[in-house]
Amino acid sequence: MATKRVAICAVAQHKNEPDLWYKRFQNMLLDVLEDLQGQTGFKYGENGVGIIVSASDDFFDARTISNNGVTDVIGGQYLAEEKMAQEGLNAIGYANAIILSGHKDLVLIMGHCKESQGESRNMITNCGFDPFYGRATGLDYLNAAGLQAQAYMRKSGLTDDQLAEIVVRSRQWAARNPYANAQEVVPAGKVKASPMLCDPIRQLHAYPVSDGAVGLLLASEERAREFTDNPVWITGFANCMDAFFFGDRDLTSNFALKKATANACRRAGIQDLKKAADVAEVMDCYAYQQPMWMEGLGFCGDGEGGRFIAEGGPGKYRVNLSGGTLAGNPMIISGLYRAAEATLQLQGGAGDRQVPDAKCAVAHSTNGPAGQFHSVLILEA
Amino acid sequence: MAEFFGTTVADIFNTMPKRFKPEASKGVDVVIGYDCGGEGGGKWKLTVKDQAARIETVEGDLGPCTATIIASDAETFIGVTLQKIGAIDALSQGKMKVIGDTRMLMTLLPQIFVQYTVPAKKTEVTARGILSAIGERFRPDKAAGVTLKYGYDLTGEGGGQFTITIANGTCTLKEGLDADLAVKMTMEAATYVGMMTGTIDGAAAFTSGKVRIDGDMMAAAATGKYFDKYVDPNAEEAEELLSLKKITSINQRFATGPVMGKWFAGLREKKLLASVCPVCRRTLILPQEICQFCHVRTKEYVELGPEGYVTNFDLVYFASPDPLSGEVRDTPYACAWIMLEGATPEDAFAFEIKKEDLPKLKIGSRVRPTWAEKPTGSFRDILYFEIID
Amino acid sequence: MKKHDKNRNVAIIGIGQTTLSSHKEDQNQVEMVNEAVKNALADANMTLDDIDCIVHGNMELFEMQFQPDMWHALDCGSYGKEEFRITTGGTVGATLVCASDSLVASGQYDTVLCLGFEKLQEGNTTGGITNMADPLWFRNLQTGALTSSTANEMIKEFGKERVLRAAMKYRIMIDKHAMLNERAHRRLGLEYDQLENLMETSPQLVGDLRLIHMCSQSDGACAMVLTNEDRVKKGTAKPPVWIRDHETSHRGENMSNLYGAQKPKSTHRDCAEKLFMRNGITNPLEYFDVFEMYDPSAFWGLDWLREFLLLKDDEVLKLMEANEFDLDGKLPVNPSGGVIASNPIGATAMLRPAEAALQIRGDAGGHQIKKEVRHALASGFGGTLWTVMLMLEKELNW
Repeated sequence: MATKRVAICAVAQHKNEPDLWYKRFQNMLLDVLEDLQGQTGFKYGENGVGIIVSASDDFFDARTISNNGVTDVIGGQYLAEEKMAQEGLNAIGYANAIILSGHKDLVLIMGHCKESQGESRNMITNCGFDPFYGRATGLDYLNAAGLQAQAYMRKSGLTDDQLAEIVVRSRQWAARNPYANAQEVVPAGKVKASPMLCDPIRQLHAYPVSDGAVGLLLASEERAREFTDNPVWITGFANCMDAFFFGDRDLTSNFALKKATANACRRAGIQDLKKAADVAEVMDCYAYQQPMWMEGLGFCGDGEGGRFIAEGGPGKYRVNLSGGTLAGNPMIISGLYRAAEATLQLQGGAGDRQVPDAKCAVAHSTNGPAGQFHSVLILEA
Repeated sequence: MAEFFGTTVADIFNTMPKRFKPEASKGVDVVIGYDCGGEGGGKWKLTVKDQAARIETVEGDLGPCTATIIASDAETFIGVTLQKIGAIDALSQGKMKVIGDTRMLMTLLPQIFVQYTVPAKKTEVTARGILSAIGERFRPDKAAGVTLKYGYDLTGEGGGQFTITIANGTCTLKEGLDADLAVKMTMEAATYVGMMTGTIDGAAAFTSGKVRIDGDMMAAAATGKYFDKYVDPNAEEAEELLSLKKITSINQRFATGPVMGKWFAGLREKKLLASVCPVCRRTLILPQEICQFCHVRTKEYVELGPEGYVTNFDLVYFASPDPLSGEVRDTPYACAWIMLEGATPEDAFAFEIKKEDLPKLKIGSRVRPTWAEKPTGSFRDILYFEIID
Repeated sequence: MKKHDKNRNVAIIGIGQTTLSSHKEDQNQVEMVNEAVKNALADANMTLDDIDCIVHGNMELFEMQFQPDMWHALDCGSYGKEEFRITTGGTVGATLVCASDSLVASGQYDTVLCLGFEKLQEGNTTGGITNMADPLWFRNLQTGALTSSTANEMIKEFGKERVLRAAMKYRIMIDKHAMLNERAHRRLGLEYDQLENLMETSPQLVGDLRLIHMCSQSDGACAMVLTNEDRVKKGTAKPPVWIRDHETSHRGENMSNLYGAQKPKSTHRDCAEKLFMRNGITNPLEYFDVFEMYDPSAFWGLDWLREFLLLKDDEVLKLMEANEFDLDGKLPVNPSGGVIASNPIGATAMLRPAEAALQIRGDAGGHQIKKEVRHALASGFGGTLWTVMLMLEKELNW
């Protein structure tokens, strides 16, 4: 009989770095993998890991079939290895389904990205727009976010001062996270004086270029305790796609995130996520996104992101104690870092950032221009 | 049959059933007689009833008609039909007469028939015709600096032999095949015409052996760009479909990491280094971070070669663009798999073989590397492997 | 025998393909994708409201479109729905079906639509494949997927004349199949009496690999609708085709160990052994009624048949010589014309189970096998010799 529950047994993170010039991503993954093997002692093949779900991107790796370059180091010889070609959090959603289906009972997830390798992230995300019109207008994920930030700040009353406050807080927590990239504590004045990248997004409002790698071991309920004493259960996962063309969307509506949240909560049997969750990790590539996504996740009312910050919402709901994406993860595996932090919190392994007795965590990620696609993962101890 | 304005009276009547609009003729019950005098004329009778139209030629008397149209000559009839001659003018000049209700005819007929138009002329397209006008399609701007002589050997009906010379920004055609052609293309004349008019796919014709190319394949492929596309005079004008051409390029800076770093450092000293699997002891070349079979990290290195023998090879004739430079690689070239001295039997090393040695390359050939004068730690430190037996 | 223990059974209930052509300039990417999706929904007699999740895949760098599922949101039907984008190079199409099978079997999604596509005309395919190689070294040496190494090895084993004849015979057989499939891209009308001529005149690409042996570069898309057993019981527009099991075997990117003096086991054989053992199949040649195989070239087609069917010595050549892979042979191979006839890479490996499922349904049209098809095998190929295999069944027989 197939299993009823899936556990994250262990996570391993490579420290995020601005420019890991001395390592190929293969080297980074190998370090992460050995960490994970050290924690769990897992093996490959018969009665071991039966499938690997990798997470990476052809554009960022500048390789057709980016997983081909890492199949050997992550252990894919004579094994199934499939690449999640979306943001990495979806690899957990997929791996969860693989185990629930009964097809395999042990899944290894390995994500990597070296954003420092390419000349410009914006040149890559410009290629995410249609070649006929969108690209020609010069759109990329940064200025798409700029458009959304303009609209959202108007709707929610979020201010430049509050954006600075979000960044200051992110850095304070990142300083306690040994895996974070930007750990330097910055005063609000410095944030507000940082150059404007794309009005209203300032340089310090934007996640820094990062190189990173993450690994997770997932197992069926029946097998989880072979690998850990602290299994963390996946109780709900969902994602949702919004429309592509900005003219088809209300950029401030959180349409996709609300729907993904509702589905994840339904699967987890949770009525009110803000009551249930002890920890929230959201993928905030830009400072304005933290309150906006928290709004989408239901932690405050529609258009109340400004008030959420003013009333200390991030502290109250323990949002992004890892420092969040603002402290620097590669965009396409940021959700895996969010899930890794959430897992550590539920396992009691979050060090200086530990929330006492955390029982339930939500990890979020987004993908596509201006949050076109959202994924929500609910974990329980 | 006499032709005016590019068509004949018979054509107008012959196309009537096709032009008839049954849905617009509900309740119409008429018989119309036509009497057209002069050369190319004749008598026709149109019957419209029960939403059907019947047209017939009539010898002698037209018989009872709802209305009859009489034209003095074919030119008038065709001109009026095509609206090249005003109907009122023709009527007032007496070149045309209507017996019956003129107004009824003038409103009814356009309603139940699609307007007659002159069919496009079919021009006979021949290989010779296409080639003889090739100069008109030549694009000196695209062929600047190009000197190229190529020939067509077209067999079968309408065939012939032709040499096209592109030089000094001009294009000339002559009959016969010169001896110094860069490339010769042999096919049936009908295949050539089909390819030019788009009814035959050139690549498929080539693949299936309908087109034979002797000489420089790349030159053959390049010929198309020196000319405007041939326009089939018989083709219906298609909606023009645009395509957007764009080269996307993002600069990269690849890390070599500790293992590949060691390999490149070895090249600087003209050494071919392999990493060794601590479990199965195989020698991995290029050195790998791990042994993929035993899944353990490799730490130890050994020097292999420099000599070895070829286990397998690709002798490449297909000119593909080098993805690093965009330049088209010079063909033929060979990438050979080489068992280097000191290597375990599992792993071979791949490299290019010296161009001059290609004719004697075979499985089992003994080879050794030729190094660049000053190795810098890059792919080009090895110029090639040469054959030594 | 270890039984494959699925949470619930999954069936293919809708299949949609576009026509496959060297260039579909009359459609852009989203329009082409939409055509396949619409066809699959129509085949299943469903609307997007019936679909819970879309599974999307191709290779980004062939069209140079970063995360194309974003642009495709409206046209592939993912708007307002759950969506995964999973890719594995050339195997992607088959992987998408395997993934959809897992998603439905998991109980989290009732009905899933998977979609694979490629518009190879929008990029440089051989250059794109070469970009798969590591940028530090092998990218300087590789020529896309063009290689004569398999031809060389077979020739060494069985002699030149016999191998070249068998490969060209395979090629002509495939074309004869493609001629019966009106959707196929390359339909050349080859005849067996052209065999000697083609062996001599078809241009050489690499060593003994000639242009005629190699697969095409095509534009096209394929979509399939998968649902669970309970939904099937409520009635489907077309007969369900059950996915009994699937298996994947990848290998590292390093090619050195393929060309040493000692060969490792192929992923094809590894994958087949695992799949057949788990399902108690001892003689695949007897068990299966049709095999839709990802055959990028005639030599690979022949060599891989040997591996997939676990054949020994020269059995594969004997079967080929005795016409046993023809439509009325012992095991018809690629009635659709396979990959040599049509190859929109991101869709290619999905077209294999799609065509196999059409054979089981008896819906393949001109290229339908005459005898009843109950058990079908499909394979995908990609990356550095990666393999995916799917077993499809007419009945729930396990």
